[in-house]
Amino acid sequence: MAAAAAGPPPPTPTPIPSMTLPENPAANSIFVRIRLAVPTDVPHIHKLIHQMAVFERLTHLFEATQENLTTTLFNSPPFKSFTVFILEVSRLPFPNDQHSVNPNYPSVTQMVNLDTNIEDPEAHNFQVDSDVVVAGFTLFFPNYSTFLAKPGFYIEDIFVRECYRRKGLGKMLLSAVAAQAVKMGYGRVEWCVLDWNISAIKFYEEMGAQVFQEWRICRLTGDALNGYGGGN
Amino acid sequence: MAAKISNGRNHIAATNSSSMFIRIRLGNISDVPHIHKLIYQMAVFERFPHLFEATEESLAATLFNSPPFQSVTCFMLEVSQHPFPQDKHSLNPNYKPTTKTLDLEEPINDPDSIVFKTVGSNSDFDGHDIVVAGWVIFFPNYPTFLAKQGFYVEDLFVREFYRGKGFGKMLLSAVATQAVKMGFCRVDWICLKWNQKAIKFYEDVIGAEVMKEWGVCRLAGKALEAYGEK
Repeated sequence: MAAAAAGPPPPTPTPIPSMTLPENPAANSIFVRIRLAVPTDVPHIHKLIHQMAVFERLTHLFEATQENLTTTLFNSPPFKSFTVFILEVSRLPFPNDQHSVNPNYPSVTQMVNLDTNIEDPEAHNFQVDSDVVVAGFTLFFPNYSTFLAKPGFYIEDIFVRECYRRKGLGKMLLSAVAAQAVKMGYGRVEWCVLDWNISAIKFYEEMGAQVFQEWRICRLTGDALNGYGGGN
Repeated sequence: MAAKISNGRNHIAATNSSSMFIRIRLGNISDVPHIHKLIYQMAVFERFPHLFEATEESLAATLFNSPPFQSVTCFMLEVSQHPFPQDKHSLNPNYKPTTKTLDLEEPINDPDSIVFKTVGSNSDFDGHDIVVAGWVIFFPNYPTFLAKQGFYVEDLFVREFYRGKGFGKMLLSAVATQAVKMGFCRVDWICLKWNQKAIKFYEDVIGAEVMKEWGVCRLAGKALEAYGEK
């Protein structure tokens, strides 16, 4: 479905009085990395898509399986077709590894200072290794503007897991796609938003996006689509 | 911009009845001059000519770089007063053209027929006047909930003189038919909210669902470029 907003950050970070001090001072920072997904990420991607369906209250439309994802993603070079960025967090700096030297997309890392520790009750479900946990993802693919005669990117999904929201990570994912579009000389990045999601719309506008309220999405699917299968 | 099917007024010369032969085929690089003009006509129709930046060169450089249906793909809608000959298009292994015959009460008077004549059509068969009447451009998209591919229709345009004859439906149907053939699960496009006539057509004639609660967001121009400066 369309991009699920990770939710905008609060206007001003409100310090929350904590009764317990962090175990050590460094625990208030996390390291965040955005990297290209690889086929071994499919189980995590599958869980993230399901969580997004729950968030959007559209679980009845959720049909993705790990097998479907495996056969439909990773069939083309990155950015030529469906492409996934994985957002990872770690308490320790990320080491140099296959992702940091990926010739198609060297991973992007950033340190984020937090007011409080993040409790991630699902860390075990999203663990990459002992220190690294998947916190979110974005899936996007090339589109094409005929007016510009240039490709762009369409962001199908952006999702950040609940306990990592409101820390700027959704913005990092969106910015990573936009930066890649600029790098490739593309003309646009587009996505969709639910029109009742005023805080997301405000957030996107503050990021510099135009939000077009005058367009409707039209969709042909299911039996109505299959009706076209027999020719005309 | 978005797909549309408009039922504009037709400029019809009052004479005797006639048949029109219609073909939908894959676009190729030699269609670029016509594609460029069609995009411009659409920009004028949508009152966005100030947003039109495409050139024949930029279209030639960005279209037709991948096998059909793997990336951005277009179908050309052609009309002729004669049956379409066997030619390179009818033998295209990627897409067998769809043809149809339409009986018209009156022939269509197309003042731009010279400009939109298919390049080289005369050499295919003596006496053939094949004219481009419209087109559709689309590319694969990916509904993650289904983890399957679909098509997104970026533009659908039928030239003024050919509207109101079901050509837009033929083009959209051709995309839907191809989607079904490839096992794709969906065809999406967008239309203007105020265009109630189009919405009704998509719902009633095409069978599409028009989603009420989604808006479209776009990052472009300087706002986009700002993200490249990091």
